Amino acid sequence: MTTPLVWARRRDSLTRFWGTYRQQRTGLWGLTALLVIGAVALATPLLTDGDLRSVADAPGGPLEAPSGAFWLGTDQFGRSLLGLLLWGARISLAVGLLAAVLSVGIGTLVGVIAGHYGGWFATALMRVTDWFLVMPALVLAIVLATVMSRSLWTVVIAIGVTSWPTTARLVRAQTLAVESRPYIERAKALGGGHGHIMSRHVLPNVMPLVLAQTTLGISTAILTEATLAFLGLGDPAVVSWGGMLQDAREAGAVSSGHWWYLAPPGVAIALVAVAFTLCGRAVESVLNPRLGAVR
Amino acid sequence: MATELSARMRHTLAFGVAVLVAALSAQPVRAADDGERVLSVAVSQSVDSLSPFLAQRLVAITVHRLIYENLTNYDVRDGRAIPGLATAWTSSPSKLIWTYTIRSNSRWSDGEPVTAEDAAWTFNTMMSDPRAATANGSFTANFRKVTAPDPRTLVIELKKPQATMLALDVPIVPKHQWEKVRNFSSFNNDQKFPIVGNGPFILTDFQVDRFIRLRPNKDFWRGAPHFDELVLTYYKDGDAAVAALRKGEVSFVPGLTPAQASALSRTERIKVNDAPGRRFLALATNPGARSQDGQRFGSGHRALLDPGVRKALFHATDRRTIVEKVFRGHAVEGAGYIPPRFTPYFWKPPAGQRIGYEPGKAAELLDQAGYRRKGNGKRRDKNGRPLEFRVLCHATDPNDKAIGRYLQEWWGRLGIGLQLDCRDNVSDPWLSGDYDLAFDGWSVSPDPDFVLSIHTCAALPATARDTGSTDNFICDRRFDELYAKQSVEYDAPQRAELVKKMQSRLYDTGYLNILAYPNAVEAYRTDQIASITTMPESGGNIWGQDGYWSWWSAKPAAGAGAGASGQPSAAAVLSGMGTALAGAALVAAVIGWRRRATADDRE
Amino acid sequence: MTATTAVVAPAPVDRKRTGYLRYGAGKLGGALISLVAVLVTGFFLFRIIPGDPVKAMTHGMPTSAEQLATLRGQFGLDLPLWRQFTDYCGKALTGDLGLSYQFHAPVGELIAQKLPATLLLTGTAVLLYSTLGLWLGTRSAWRHGGRADRLTTGVALTLWSVPSFWLGLLLIITFAVGVGPLPGLFPTGGMESGGERGFAYAIDVAHHLVLPVLTLVAVGYAQTLLVVRSSLLDEMGGDYLTTARAKGLRDAAVRRRHAVPNALLPTVTMVFINLGHVVAGSILVETVFSWPGLGGLFYQALSVPDLPLVQGLFIVFAGAMIVMNLLADLIYPLLDPRVRR
Repeated sequence: MTTPLVWARRRDSLTRFWGTYRQQRTGLWGLTALLVIGAVALATPLLTDGDLRSVADAPGGPLEAPSGAFWLGTDQFGRSLLGLLLWGARISLAVGLLAAVLSVGIGTLVGVIAGHYGGWFATALMRVTDWFLVMPALVLAIVLATVMSRSLWTVVIAIGVTSWPTTARLVRAQTLAVESRPYIERAKALGGGHGHIMSRHVLPNVMPLVLAQTTLGISTAILTEATLAFLGLGDPAVVSWGGMLQDAREAGAVSSGHWWYLAPPGVAIALVAVAFTLCGRAVESVLNPRLGAVR
Repeated sequence: MATELSARMRHTLAFGVAVLVAALSAQPVRAADDGERVLSVAVSQSVDSLSPFLAQRLVAITVHRLIYENLTNYDVRDGRAIPGLATAWTSSPSKLIWTYTIRSNSRWSDGEPVTAEDAAWTFNTMMSDPRAATANGSFTANFRKVTAPDPRTLVIELKKPQATMLALDVPIVPKHQWEKVRNFSSFNNDQKFPIVGNGPFILTDFQVDRFIRLRPNKDFWRGAPHFDELVLTYYKDGDAAVAALRKGEVSFVPGLTPAQASALSRTERIKVNDAPGRRFLALATNPGARSQDGQRFGSGHRALLDPGVRKALFHATDRRTIVEKVFRGHAVEGAGYIPPRFTPYFWKPPAGQRIGYEPGKAAELLDQAGYRRKGNGKRRDKNGRPLEFRVLCHATDPNDKAIGRYLQEWWGRLGIGLQLDCRDNVSDPWLSGDYDLAFDGWSVSPDPDFVLSIHTCAALPATARDTGSTDNFICDRRFDELYAKQSVEYDAPQRAELVKKMQSRLYDTGYLNILAYPNAVEAYRTDQIASITTMPESGGNIWGQDGYWSWWSAKPAAGAGAGASGQPSAAAVLSGMGTALAGAALVAAVIGWRRRATADDRE
Repeated sequence: MTATTAVVAPAPVDRKRTGYLRYGAGKLGGALISLVAVLVTGFFLFRIIPGDPVKAMTHGMPTSAEQLATLRGQFGLDLPLWRQFTDYCGKALTGDLGLSYQFHAPVGELIAQKLPATLLLTGTAVLLYSTLGLWLGTRSAWRHGGRADRLTTGVALTLWSVPSFWLGLLLIITFAVGVGPLPGLFPTGGMESGGERGFAYAIDVAHHLVLPVLTLVAVGYAQTLLVVRSSLLDEMGGDYLTTARAKGLRDAAVRRRHAVPNALLPTVTMVFINLGHVVAGSILVETVFSWPGLGGLFYQALSVPDLPLVQGLFIVFAGAMIVMNLLADLIYPLLDPRVRR
């Protein structure tokens, strides 16, 4: 294997990628926002002392308005909403990431296999994909979340399993394009097996597309997580942004005018979702300038 | 779809938008502004059926109380049985034959007289057709025969004595309307309006999840209600209902959260009614599910069979904090089984018997029971398995989830793991005994017989394949003996004494930890409702009474009128028009700006 | 946005009439297969929901094994699974979706009762946001890269990332409850105040419609905008536009007569697909605004679980998607001027 050469080439293309990406102003904004939010989420346990999520040791009174001690006020247990918001970032980001990875993973697998093998097998596989594509994803996710026990993994699976078909179709198209290139013929002639071709030639070529899909998928996944939590299908013991909104609603924060309880989680969700969308669109337009997506 | 519009079209469009905004943001003036006094009530629960043979949900039962009469009613002061459709009753010495006298001054709303034959037909239908026994079959399961020897006399023969003969919550329906019904399991009584009834109200219209409209029955023997119309309006979202109350779109909202109650109590022209509730909220322990034939089933935790462990869990539960933090004072700390509202039966453990919040004692008890811990780790049994409990909770009940979080922390400090298993539908694990602990709650009736009966051995399912009426698979010999004694005791103070003894026994078993008696927190507009009767009359609740007292007695306030459904105040109209104008100006400005912008492009 | 780019891909179509018929038949066949698949999944998906509906129905009531058996018989739950399946298929084909456990009424009837409300809400919303998206998308694309474009796209993307239920709650606080000096201008929920007739009733419903539609439009128009914008950008590279400009046509005229009609195609397709999507997607908005439609019914049915009702709604939701996709597929080649030419 000519590894050093391959690595050099990959490093090259990465540099080129970054060079183009850097010119996408909105993409940079998105990336910066994500890095900041990610850093804050990771650092939350280090920045605060004691468990923010504890209800028995909650420092404040119930539903306090924002003050010097609690910048965003408190929830019905007297916990600091700012702390919960920071803590919720961890869960929302983790769920979004895992679900998107799962969804794109399934999609890539199906897409590459369908694109590579062709024939009736691929036709059947794409039939299933098309069928999933017309399924109302939210309805399916709600049903799945109801069927399984309430936990984070349930949410991840419910999102992942219902949102992969788009990726599968895009990846399949890309696979077909890649496989029609002459060097694949050469690889086949040299005795490269199916596994070799798929993993060594097709996969690296669909990777950029997969990356773009994942980034875009995360923002959808975060929104879906919030939706499921809001409908009461999340794990009640876990602090997430969607769960906070559900708590706020159950406490009657809307009609009692406690906007400070309601507003921040929604803003946070929107912020992260926008950031991921901007990144995804930037990646997309770097890879396919004709889309001219953002600029 | 042209995107380039001519200037004239733009102006037309702008004008159109402005008119639309103005039309939509001004509150519509009621069409029928004829001084009708409307009482509107916000509800959220869907009606499962308007057929009294099928309806099981509180909202439907409430409606049925308004449009049909039961044989007996409950006194608004103390809840004892008083005449309803029946004016008098006697029972044979054996307590097996009950004779009711049917009142002569009650008429169906289509003019026909109400007779004993209607009542007999209602009961007989429930006894002979299982499909008609869906909702209230438990009342007639023990009936041998029901006859109407004459239009004013109803005779019910029983198989064995039944304590609920003066609390038969079965709406009597008009035979001449109902005997045409073929299939009781699919007839919902919602095709023909108004529905023929004899209660204080007549149901005139109904749309699923939109509204239920009722008109007063002018011929009602106790006197007609005072409002011209009663409308139950649907708000699936509690906050939306409260917002509607603030705006005067509805007159009454039940089931408030503490935050809503405290915000509303500071609002003018709104009265918050914080009444002692009729419910208890408990933490039930699985005592080892079994059926009457002795077969055990389910997967309840073995550690909970040890009374010491159950007592330790009691000691590790801070009921006062639950009342203060979760209910924010809108509840009473749990003690005995029956809520304090039912004074004659209320029981409180004396100091020596009371199991208070003492985590130290709990740890001691757990050590004694053989569940020890090393350092800060989990407690383990002799085989080294960690002590972990599943708690079944209702996913739709915020209180369950909130208390669950506290329990997780309190018990976690003692080294007990706790897993909250929240579901929309808890019936399955519950009935099959697949839980360790569970949040449990019942609405208690003025007569406690039923809520006591669900903890007797006789309530266990006959075999593992049946469903029993048992609440929590409790089967205790001493409790059963006391239950048998109270059900044949007709001296009220004596019976109350027995009921208290039963509660004391239940407390000692540790199977049921009564956490709190949540208050009924509700609010109404004082500018629409001048007065309304609560039950019990002093400091009672309004929604979900045993009887039709609240809505029947409600008197309209001066401001009621058509405003009950949202007549806009002058200020609202003015500001609505202001907003509309501002919106129109904005639209015009944007279009003007855009035209200037495009003008640059046009050479 | 990602979903549509994949779905809206134009299908290659023969120019001849027979070609279209064959294409149409193929799409129709595909849709029928999908519908059957939905029917089958509908059945099996909801058998894996844990829970014995009969026990759930009778919880808290003493019920003997015989009574339970009678109830099971009544709902056909005592039959072996394959018999239930064949019965269900046979009935479903004749439009009979069974009896709801909790409402004791035919599922078809329940759905028919709530369908108009959902159609009114989603239809209005899709119409409005497609128009808005088309309008803004065209303008954006025409001066892409400019400040106005960046602003429009940015606002649309932000609104698109906002959870719809959250936006709905905020709108309720602001415009229904009222904030500060601003009074509550719109009703907080529901579809009507009751009591009105005729024109007054129409105004009343429209009044209730404003906030939920606003929510759906705000969250939804970004999708149309982006698709229109990117397909217009594609079109603008086309030679024919350069030719048109070279002929001396004004910018606006080029846009109106040439570029927009072509960009309209994917938009039309998307309107149909959105209609399919939005019926299911209005679950949240209907919950927040107490709108008496299918979304609320679905959520309510799931919690019992009321299997026949959930099943029926699932079939309706998925069926709507399939039918709308089919319509989009069938209409697309008819509209494409490159085919008609």
